[in-house]
Amino acid sequence: MIALGRGDPRYPARLRDLAHPPDEIWVDGDPTTLEAPAIAIVGTRRMTGYGERVAREVALACAAGGAVVVSGFAQGIDSAAHRGALDGGGRTIAVVGESIPLFVATVRGRRRPLVPRIREHGALVSQFAAPLAAQRWTFAKRNATIAALAGAVVVVEAGEVSGALITAEEARAIGRPVYAVPGPWGSSASAGANRLIATGRARALTSVRELLGGGPAASRATEPVLDALRDGPLGIDELARRMRADRSTLASRVALLLVRGELAALPDGRLRRT
Amino acid sequence: MTIAPPAATSVARVTSSALWGLEAALVTVEVDVANGLPAFSVVGLPDAAVSEARERVRAAVRNSGFEFPLRRVVANLAPAERRKEGSGFDLAIALGVLRATGQLARDPGTLCLGELALDGAVRPVRGVMPRVRGAIGAGVTDVLCSEENAAEAAAAGARAVGVATLRDAVAHIAGVTRLAPTPVPPPAIPARPAVDLADIAGHETPKRALEIAAAGAHSLLLIGPPGTGKTLLARALPGLLPPLDADEAVVASAVHSVAGLVDPARPLLAARPFRAPHHTASHLALVGGGSPPRPGEVSLAHAGALFLDELPEFSRHVLDTLREPLEEGSITLSRAAAAATYPARVTLVAAMNPCPCGHAGDAAAPCTCLPDAVERYHARLSGPLMDRIDLRVHVPRLAYEELRERGRERTRDVRERVLAARERMRSRLGGTGRRTNAELTVAEVRTHCGLDDDADALAREAMRSRRLSARGVHRVLRVARTVADLAASERIRGGDLALALLLRGAA
Repeated sequence: MIALGRGDPRYPARLRDLAHPPDEIWVDGDPTTLEAPAIAIVGTRRMTGYGERVAREVALACAAGGAVVVSGFAQGIDSAAHRGALDGGGRTIAVVGESIPLFVATVRGRRRPLVPRIREHGALVSQFAAPLAAQRWTFAKRNATIAALAGAVVVVEAGEVSGALITAEEARAIGRPVYAVPGPWGSSASAGANRLIATGRARALTSVRELLGGGPAASRATEPVLDALRDGPLGIDELARRMRADRSTLASRVALLLVRGELAALPDGRLRRT
Repeated sequence: MTIAPPAATSVARVTSSALWGLEAALVTVEVDVANGLPAFSVVGLPDAAVSEARERVRAAVRNSGFEFPLRRVVANLAPAERRKEGSGFDLAIALGVLRATGQLARDPGTLCLGELALDGAVRPVRGVMPRVRGAIGAGVTDVLCSEENAAEAAAAGARAVGVATLRDAVAHIAGVTRLAPTPVPPPAIPARPAVDLADIAGHETPKRALEIAAAGAHSLLLIGPPGTGKTLLARALPGLLPPLDADEAVVASAVHSVAGLVDPARPLLAARPFRAPHHTASHLALVGGGSPPRPGEVSLAHAGALFLDELPEFSRHVLDTLREPLEEGSITLSRAAAAATYPARVTLVAAMNPCPCGHAGDAAAPCTCLPDAVERYHARLSGPLMDRIDLRVHVPRLAYEELRERGRERTRDVRERVLAARERMRSRLGGTGRRTNAELTVAEVRTHCGLDDDADALAREAMRSRRLSARGVHRVLRVARTVADLAASERIRGGDLALALLLRGAA
């Protein structure tokens, strides 16, 4: 882990766009990642299956297009974005809202195995010296850093009150383009993102082409089973009903997709796209 | 009543039986009455209940119109090196005292089981069935016991005579009033299944999983939001299970006998047990224990089904203790005083919500859980237990149109397929003592799980993509074998394996 002061030539120039750039940042990983073209993908911790899929697909597209994915390494959308970037063979920056050693020591669950992967293909970044623990204000500062490190910000699912909305505001303040992914009518997980679009503070993102420019949109969903699962995980009976498919031929199809890794089973037995 | 004149002091011998778990052994109660200061002692490693027999026996003998000797009385329970528990020796000790003092003219010559009331009434005891079976194995076929226990002893195969009081017992043995042996009770009539599959709308895959679990004794986990019918589905399982065969019925009934849960009129179980302990159950209640060790729910469910509703609400420690019985099909409870082994071959059915709030994947209500909280919820179920789950199936909330449909098949029709599949398993496993596909050994999986080309291609793909470990393959093949058996197919076809993989979640 290295510390970069504002006088350091490796201190990311983008951060100087902020009204109050951090005096020092700590970087655990590859510091050159901080200079590469980057897209921030942020959103709620209480994501839905839809949000998880969109965050992942946008991150996969960024990885394929050579853009670094910047996010905040929170549960939900942030982690889905980091995971998507890594699975797509790309690089990712995780800006955490507390000191790096404390974060690494306390992170549990599905996010824990991401730590070494991010270190290897990107960097963990924090503007807080050890042993500072996360507080409300540290997340606000962190969100500004995310906005500054990226060339554009994508909000995937944000509720009425969400840190992702702070990131969007900070990005607007320093002139970074802000995109929001429109969510379903009435979905509380997308209320904030939809409001950004409705009030003109963010452009609606409807395909990754708008974000990266050029290139045909990656379309994977030619398999009808995968297409039926686009809005989130389903149980096998519900899947059969929606596809109007015979249950036994569907079972064979699904089993094949499962063993090929194109589908995964959730702990509760429902199926989701990978 | 004629009472023979006191004969010269001699040692009387009366046969009784001691029980450790389901293991019974004959105990010879030797009673010696000698000159000396009046005293009454019981030796031969008696526990507290056996030692207290002295007071009961003394009072019962006196209150039955006999004389308790004012001399030195010693009762020895032989073999003396194993600890004996319970009140079942009272009758034998009392008869021994009467015989040694010449108040009883003949040796009883039968197995004597029973507790005595102070007024001389004979009371029932627990564990008559395994004791009688042990005695028959040792060549003793006549049993003298309380009236309540007589049917149970008769069902176990003995010529059983039930007596109401110590006087009756003496009169019967002396030949004054011979009592007729109790007839073998008719088998209990299996109750109509509480839930019929036809009463459950939709849920075709969960019902299919239930059928597979019933046929192959595979363990099943039902996951879904509250109120979607998980419990109802689980309660439909007993109706699908095949009838108990004779050996199973005797062993399962013996466990119930030891636990004191036998219906005196219909001691032999007719239907497979279905036990549904509440999630506050302690590990003693679930796997058994105490001193002396009593059987727990997992043993009471032997040869039947154990239903654990709200699985993550059970304490983790309690669930971990289930590991051994689920793996071994039996549980050995070792205590300082004694060890007991009880059978525990059960079909495990469990149900749980998909997340702490219960609404993950529920169209009717949004889930309010953070991803990490959902993960912790699932992590509460330890890996070893989840490894034992063969079938994992999602039970979704149904739309109104689906709720209006009736189930397509009745329990009776599905049960026919289950019975036919069990018959195929029986002919395959004949002579091994094992009955179901869930119990196939690895070698048998290799021999009996022939794949057709489609299934072979699918299995190859699964191994190649490393989505299945070698151990996982065996588990999936056992389930696929059951799916093929239900379809009366000798080979496992592609669709059979696909369904097994799907229900396993290919994990």
